[in-house]
Amino acid sequence: MALWAAPDAPAVLGDGARREALRAMLLAWADDELILGHRHSEWTGVAPDIESDVALSSIAQDELGHARLLYEQAAAEGQSPDRLAFGRRPEAFRNATLVERENGDWASTIVRIWLYDHADAARLAVLADSPLGSFAALARTLGREEKYHRLFADAWLERLARAGDDSRGRVQAALDALWREALAVFEPSPGEEALLAAGALVAGAAEQAVRWASAVVPRLEALGLRVPPERDVPVGGGRSGRHTPALAALLDEMTSVSRSDPEARW
Amino acid sequence: MNLAEITPGADHVFAVFRQETKADTHVHVGDVHAPDAEMALVLAKEQFARRDPCVNLWVVRYADIAATPYGDADMLEPSTDKSYRFGGSYREQQRVYRRR
Repeated sequence: MALWAAPDAPAVLGDGARREALRAMLLAWADDELILGHRHSEWTGVAPDIESDVALSSIAQDELGHARLLYEQAAAEGQSPDRLAFGRRPEAFRNATLVERENGDWASTIVRIWLYDHADAARLAVLADSPLGSFAALARTLGREEKYHRLFADAWLERLARAGDDSRGRVQAALDALWREALAVFEPSPGEEALLAAGALVAGAAEQAVRWASAVVPRLEALGLRVPPERDVPVGGGRSGRHTPALAALLDEMTSVSRSDPEARW
Repeated sequence: MNLAEITPGADHVFAVFRQETKADTHVHVGDVHAPDAEMALVLAKEQFARRDPCVNLWVVRYADIAATPYGDADMLEPSTDKSYRFGGSYREQQRVYRRR
């Protein structure tokens, strides 16, 4: 699938700079999906019930599939999507630090998938409105599965938040710990202004963050949860390659098979 | 005989019915554990709709299903020759119906 070769691409993307900016955006997105997909897969076999175990494992596979589609577009000419996924050092990854954090307890896992998948929805909505028809189509493809991810996350979050003091306390603690990193999902990728100026992107990361917050804050409050007081101050760095030690450990495990024979074809 | 026996302790088990196309009937494909119907549907989707496509899912709490007792299964068996009643034509009817 060569979206860059679509007939409408040159008119909207013009010179190489805008093309590179869009690639950078897709790479960061692919990294988010790959790393969170891997974290979800760590629950396989040990989730609280067998049904949620199967569901979250399936969601993990969806996210890896999305990462693959996005890496194919983010890859430079002749570059393999597999090498992008398995052949980079931690500092070359552009995922938000939110997704690399260790899973913690189930409440923390649910709060993260909820925050992230609603952020992903804001991002997908913008890509779906892209004047580039082929990219809008890609957004619709990813969006179909993301709808279920939000359904799963919504259902779990609502029940955990209403299940009593211990459960709600864990959800609140996770929200306090993750909120500012969730905001940093909306750190803009380099060259975003050029895409906005050219109309290749209908809303930038800052605008997406506002839309996301206006969707999620009322829902959290309706569940009796408290949005952290420093609600507007993101804790980021992931989009420029500054990660926590958790990412290096994750990559070390995730790439152990591909490192055993980097030239193997799968 | 106790007709309409309710399965005891089945408040958190839901039977899942899957409909392959709109022209098909819903078929019982298995069960999920869930605290309520909404969660049962959310979980049923990945258990029973992730491999082959389908168009619709139903969940029914076991506690809401009234059943005949297995102890009285002989009631459902004809004791004299009723082959003139066998419903082969119903299956043919279903096959014709599905083509539409």
